Amino acid sequence: MKEIEKVAYQDNAPKGADPDGIYFVQVDSAKCQACGECDNHCATGAIQSINEAGIRQVVNPAACVNCGQCLIHCPYGAIYEGVGYVDEIMAKLKDKNTVVVSMPAPAVRYALGESFGYPPGTYVGGKMHAALKKLGFKYIWDNEYTADVTIMEEGTELIERISKPGKERPLPQFTSCCPGWMKFVESFYPDLLPHVSTCKSPIGMLGALAKTYGAQTTKTPPAKMYTVSIMPCVAKKYEGLRPEMASSGFRDIDATINTRELAYMIKQAGIDFKNLPDAKPDPALGMSTGAATIFGTSGGVMEAALRLAYEVLSKEKLAPPDVKVVRTHEGINSAEVKVPKFGVVKVAVASGLDNAAKLCDEVRAGKSPYHFIEIMTCPGGCVNGGGQPLDPSVRSASLFQRTIASINKRFNMRTAG
Amino acid sequence: MKNVVQMTRRSFIKATAIAAGYAVLGFNLTREAVAAGLDFLTARQKGVYDADANKKVYPIRKSQDNPMVQKIYDKKHGFLHDGPCGHKSHELLHTHYQDRSSAVKALKEKGVKLKV
Repeated sequence: MKEIEKVAYQDNAPKGADPDGIYFVQVDSAKCQACGECDNHCATGAIQSINEAGIRQVVNPAACVNCGQCLIHCPYGAIYEGVGYVDEIMAKLKDKNTVVVSMPAPAVRYALGESFGYPPGTYVGGKMHAALKKLGFKYIWDNEYTADVTIMEEGTELIERISKPGKERPLPQFTSCCPGWMKFVESFYPDLLPHVSTCKSPIGMLGALAKTYGAQTTKTPPAKMYTVSIMPCVAKKYEGLRPEMASSGFRDIDATINTRELAYMIKQAGIDFKNLPDAKPDPALGMSTGAATIFGTSGGVMEAALRLAYEVLSKEKLAPPDVKVVRTHEGINSAEVKVPKFGVVKVAVASGLDNAAKLCDEVRAGKSPYHFIEIMTCPGGCVNGGGQPLDPSVRSASLFQRTIASINKRFNMRTAG
Repeated sequence: MKNVVQMTRRSFIKATAIAAGYAVLGFNLTREAVAAGLDFLTARQKGVYDADANKKVYPIRKSQDNPMVQKIYDKKHGFLHDGPCGHKSHELLHTHYQDRSSAVKALKEKGVKLKV
């Protein structure tokens, strides 16, 4: 175990393991105070009381979508991560025969600063790129580039589905970039899988492009390349291990870490983050747009896709590009977007899997009026993902809760024992 | 939760402890904690939209206008020259999914209660 930004991580960097058998988050029963706060943040019920004392556990990996919302909301720091690649990455960065490349997600750059004293929401993209370079990453590629590519693929797929809807590719189309949602729909609504976009997530795309297109452009043998996915997320560790993520002929994603682990690596290396000059990513697989960065928030993928779909369907320019009606903080948000020469595009955005389930039930019943549905597991989207730095108030306000809980725990232990 | 009307010794002590806690520390502490949590979540989302609207951070705001996106899809020399959803895209950028419901079903048959 290693403590990383106030969260415990197991030193476990699986290779070729079946991700379905891994506990990506689990409860340390010695630290659990049986308060049950985690229950409130678990959409599937995977985390539950396992004895009369009320101690929680993730009962089986099959039921857990790995979102990590329980972990970031636990007032006692009792939940740990089961997979950590930090040591392996540090070793690869020192190895002269390995070309290590970075692939940070959009949402990382809006929370990484918190670990260095910036207020939440501060954009630190330039410093993040500079820090990655300093850590020894050879190529600073950026997942935002493939967020733009995702829009091209997923937007085109949507337009194809709208113009030729069929049994194999029905409407509505669901987004496919959130790994918590993907495991959820595969596990609980498999009958709806034809509705899900066939597009890989942006990181799935970047992993595959890195070892093909990226290898070609930089003249790097793909066998020497080591790709590091840097995410605001825990579930992306599961996605990186999916057996099918090997379309480059190699493992597309060699390691997945989250924002907390990147902050830890920067601190371990003694980098003065606050005084770093801003740096840009390497353009070929790094240049990105505003449409890409909004992937990190609920409603963002929808808005980015509409910025493309509007122009393709109407053959007119969308100016200004804001589609504010789809911006979603919580719950379900639906909107009708008028597109000239086409008509109305009906869309819905769900934040949280309990809300996603409502939209899924509608589709299952054949009553869904939408063309396109965006699902994000975490409230407000990836910026509030399970891999982000902790909200200090979750642990600091717990003096009172701590007292109550320890009284409760002691009492319950006695009566249960 | 088992029985609301008839209070057990255990739940009585629990309720007393919570009441005492509130009496000592007050409601404001908890209320403030909840409010701080909400601000925290929205601040990050606001940061994203501010950057999208800031020309110095993102001079281009549509994916199709990204020069490196145009380059990869270039009809003559692009790596994905057959365009979005073309042959090469399907090979590298699209995927298939797996029905994982049997594992969940097996759990439920063992008596594990889930929310979905």
